Amino acid sequence: MPRKIPWWAGGILMSLLFFFTFSEWGAGRPIGASTGMAYLSEVLFGLDADSHEYTALIETSGAWEGVMLIGVFFGGLFMSLFVTKTFHISFIPTLWKARKNSSVPSRMVWSFIAGFLLVFGARLAGGCNAGHILSGGSQTAVSGMIFTVVALGTGMITGRFFYKRKGSCS
Amino acid sequence: MTEGIVHMFDVVAAQGHGSVWTVLFIGFCFGAIILYSRLDKFEKMAGFMIFEDTLAPRMAMMTVALSGVGFYALVQGGFAEYQVKPTLLGGLLVGAVLFGMGLVILGKCPSAFFVSVSEGRVDALVGVIGGMVGGAVFTLTFPWINQLMGPDLGAIRLSDVLGGYELTIVLVLSLTLFVVALLIPTVDYHDPADENPKR
Repeated sequence: MPRKIPWWAGGILMSLLFFFTFSEWGAGRPIGASTGMAYLSEVLFGLDADSHEYTALIETSGAWEGVMLIGVFFGGLFMSLFVTKTFHISFIPTLWKARKNSSVPSRMVWSFIAGFLLVFGARLAGGCNAGHILSGGSQTAVSGMIFTVVALGTGMITGRFFYKRKGSCS
Repeated sequence: MTEGIVHMFDVVAAQGHGSVWTVLFIGFCFGAIILYSRLDKFEKMAGFMIFEDTLAPRMAMMTVALSGVGFYALVQGGFAEYQVKPTLLGGLLVGAVLFGMGLVILGKCPSAFFVSVSEGRVDALVGVIGGMVGGAVFTLTFPWINQLMGPDLGAIRLSDVLGGYELTIVLVLSLTLFVVALLIPTVDYHDPADENPKR
């Protein structure tokens, strides 16, 4: 088995999964992930629907995506253990080391902040890249297009300031 | 917490969006495709935004190009319904800005970080924990934040804005994305960790 698939094969497989999920033979709904993240955090922190307006609001879609995310974890685990064989404990990505620093505490603090921004921002926007960019874009949704442009634009600007090439400033 | 997890599965079983096994299967495939195309890697997602890798935009454009046409056909054939998210302009803009910053710093999205955790990446796990706290803070502050999310432009699609031409829009958008995906040169960030993983 090859260790990875090319981008076009990934795109074709992903769209086939989207067809199945979207159609009545699958789930009859688009794929999303960030509502599931919010739902799982409500389960973890015990924020029940009786006393929290938002939990009640996302009860059905959040539970669906929460279960899907459990599947996502095992899908990744299966592939990393048996197919790509890339499973190993690591702390800092290579590119982060090359462009930012080699400090584990620094990467962890930034990961926490970034994870927070990612889910908080996605909930504020009503979706993440799965819901807005892939599912939204496929349905020619205006919300998806606005999200795509603003999120990727901000990401590129942030990246430019956040990751400076080592030695470029000295 | 166990009670909450059991409740989550019950809610899924009771709604008409596939059985629990179907949903788990969809997630499994989603995670497997993300990992197999290496999209879970920091180098792919953050690398795209600092112009060091082009896997993420090419794959995303290919997916949307094919899904756009496929979804249209499914809806026309009566096998699916469009489910468009509302455009709550205030929340959408502020949320997208925060999301974009988080995306380039963490280098994963809210599904890819689970995949990264399953590959043994501790920084992704910390990102998930940060995300959990983010979700909880959002839930707790929602009654206040909710008032700042508007104006609500409704669940609109491009054809609603342009006054029809649905098929033309779908075809033009899909074809454009398809051609652009093919034309962007492949830039592949070389990660030595991929060749010689420490096990």
